[in-house]
Amino acid sequence: MLLSVRDLTVRFRTHDGTVHAVNGVSLDVDEGETIGLVGESGCGKSVTNLAIMRLLPEPAGFIERGEVAFDGLDLTKLDEASMRDLRGRDIAMIFQDPMTSLNPVLTIEEQMVETIQAHRPVTKADARKRAIELLGMVGIAEAAARLRNFPHQFSGGMRQRVMIAMALALEPKLLIADEPTTALDVTIQAQVLELLQRLTHEQATAVILITHDLGVVAGMTSRINVMYAGFVVEAATTADLFATPRHPYTVGLLHSIPRLDAAADEPLIPIEGVPPDLRRQPVGCQFAPRCAWRIDRCWTEIPPLEPYLPLAPGEAVRTTGPAATHRIACWNRPTAEEAAAGSPLDPDFVPAPPPASQAAVRPASATASGSASR
Amino acid sequence: MAAQTTSFVIDLPERASRGLWRDALGRLTRNRPAMLGLAFIALFVFTAVFAPLIAPFDPAVGNIAASKQPPSWQHLMGTDLLGRDEFSRVVYGARVSLVVGVVAVFFGLVVGISLGALAGGMGGRVDTVLMRVTDVLLAVPGILLAIGIVAWLGQGQVQIMLAVGIAYAPMFARLLRGSLLGLKEADFATAARSEGATPTRILLRHLMPNALTPLIVAATLAMATAIIDVAGLGFLGLGPGDPRVAEWGEMLTDSARFLQSAPYLILFPGIAIVVSAIGFNLLGDGLRESIDPRLKR
Repeated sequence: MLLSVRDLTVRFRTHDGTVHAVNGVSLDVDEGETIGLVGESGCGKSVTNLAIMRLLPEPAGFIERGEVAFDGLDLTKLDEASMRDLRGRDIAMIFQDPMTSLNPVLTIEEQMVETIQAHRPVTKADARKRAIELLGMVGIAEAAARLRNFPHQFSGGMRQRVMIAMALALEPKLLIADEPTTALDVTIQAQVLELLQRLTHEQATAVILITHDLGVVAGMTSRINVMYAGFVVEAATTADLFATPRHPYTVGLLHSIPRLDAAADEPLIPIEGVPPDLRRQPVGCQFAPRCAWRIDRCWTEIPPLEPYLPLAPGEAVRTTGPAATHRIACWNRPTAEEAAAGSPLDPDFVPAPPPASQAAVRPASATASGSASR
Repeated sequence: MAAQTTSFVIDLPERASRGLWRDALGRLTRNRPAMLGLAFIALFVFTAVFAPLIAPFDPAVGNIAASKQPPSWQHLMGTDLLGRDEFSRVVYGARVSLVVGVVAVFFGLVVGISLGALAGGMGGRVDTVLMRVTDVLLAVPGILLAIGIVAWLGQGQVQIMLAVGIAYAPMFARLLRGSLLGLKEADFATAARSEGATPTRILLRHLMPNALTPLIVAATLAMATAIIDVAGLGFLGLGPGDPRVAEWGEMLTDSARFLQSAPYLILFPGIAIVVSAIGFNLLGDGLRESIDPRLKR
C-alpha cells in the first residue's frame, strides 16, 4: 500500500471558532491506483489532501490527530526539510485553476527547471532538456520555443498541460489532482483528463482525483470515496458506486444529475437544505438534517464507515484494489429498491425530528437558511 | 487515439502580447500624460547631468554690483541678491535635487524592502514588531521626521538624503508586506510549495518579483515628493548648509524677502520644483496604469 490515511482530523482556528474541516477520514491508495475523492464544495476533500501534503495554511489549519503513512513514513511526524524533499518528488499536486497556479513573472522554463533542480542534481542544460521532453509529452507543440514563454501566453488548457508536465517531471509515486479540469471548458476537460490518465498509467503513478463532478471520476477512477462535511460517507469501487449507491447522500447525488439513459419524464430529485455549519462539533451524522431516511440515532451518534454487505466468515475488509469492500457510514441504510427510487418507500416512515438538544439544527424541510460552510 | 487528441492544437491568431513588460511598455508609450512626465524628467535629468555645459556662469560666484537684475539676454532669469546668475543656479540646483532625490528614494527602498520582506516573509512575531515600528514612523509626518533627523544629524547633503529616505522606508515596507501577504496565499505560491521549494526560495524568487511592481510605481511617485521635501527642507533653512551650493528650496527662502521687488527670483526655482515634481507624478501614475492593466480606462 502506497498511502494509508488513518483517522485524519483537521481543524481550522478562526475568529468565529474552530472549523471542523476533516473529521477522522481514513483512506488507502495502492501503487498505481487512481481513486476519486468526491463531494460538494467545502466538504473537506481539498483540505484532506493539503493535510496529506502538510500544506495547510498556517497557523490557522492544523492536523489534530491521525496518521498519514506514505511509503513507510508517517508524514504527520516528518520534519519539514524531509517533507519538502518529498513534495514534488514523491507526491506532486495539480491545482484547480491553471490561470493562477503558475507564477506570472517567470517563464515556463524557469519554473520547470527550478522544480527539476530542486530535487535532482542535474545541470541547467539537462533540466532544460527534460523540460522540453515533458512539454512534448503533454502535447505542447514547439516545446523548445514555448519554454521561453510566460504563463499568460498560454491558454487555460495549455497551462494545465504545463502544470501536469511539472507535476510529473520527477515521476512521483502519487499525484494529487485537485479539481484539475474544473476551470477548463468541456472539450478541453476531456483532453486533459485523457492526458492525465495516459501519463499516470505509463509512469505507474497513483492518483487521487478530487472533484465534485461525478462524470469526471466515472471515467477516470477505479475507486471512489464520497465525502460529506468532513466525513467519508461511502467508499466503493467506481462500478459498485454507480451501480449500487447506498448512502443517502450518494443516492441523492446520483438522482440529482440528469442521465442520458433515464426515462424522459423521470424527475430529478434535488438534495434539500444546505451543508452543515462546520463550526459545530459533529455529534451525529452530518447529513441527517438533509436526509430522508434519518432516524433518531442519526442525530446523536456518528455512524462508522462499515461494509454494506455482511462479510463472509474469514473475509477481511478490503480498502484497496478492484475488489474493495463497499462501505457506507449510515445508521438507516436505504434498501436497493429505495436507492433506485431515490426516497424511502415505506409510506409510514417519517424522518426523525431533531432531539430537543439540537433544536437549533432544523431539518432541511423546515428551513433553507443556515450559514454556509467554508 | 491519444496522439490524436493531444496533437489537436487550436491556433489562435497570434495576439500582440510579447511578454508582461513589453505590453506594459506599449501601454505606457501610448499614455500621453506619462510621456509628458517623461519629457519633464528627461529635461530635468539632462539639465542636471550637463549643468556645467548649460550654465553660462559659475553658480557660486556673483558680481555684487549686478545685484537683483531683472531677466535679460545676458541673465535669462536675472541675478540674485549677490549678483549670481539665477539661470545657472537653477541649472545647478537640478543636480542637487536629482542626486539627493534619487539617493534618498533608493535608500528608502533598500530599508523599506528589507523590512517589508522580513515582515511579510517571516510573519508572526517579527512581522508584528516590525509593523508596529513602521506604524510609529508612519504616524509622524514625513517632512517632520526629516526635520527631526536633520536637526539631530546636522546639516549637509548626506544628512538630507538619510532624512528624506528614512521617511519613505515605512511606506515602502508597508506596501511590500501587504503585497507579500496577499501573494503568499496565491495559488502559485502553494504550487511552488507543493513542488518542494524552500520558504526562502519562494519568497525571493516567486513572491518578491510579483510584489515589486507596486513598489516601482510608489518609488517613482516618491521621487516627486522627495524633490519637494528636499526643497522644503532647504526652504526651512535645513538645506545642504553650504551657501555656494545652489539648492532650489534655499533659493526660494533667500529671495522670498524680495517677492515684491524681484518676483522672478522666486518664480524660476519654483517652476523648476513644480516641473520636476509633476514629471515624476505623471510618470508614476502612467506606470501604475500600464503595469496594472485592470486600471486601464
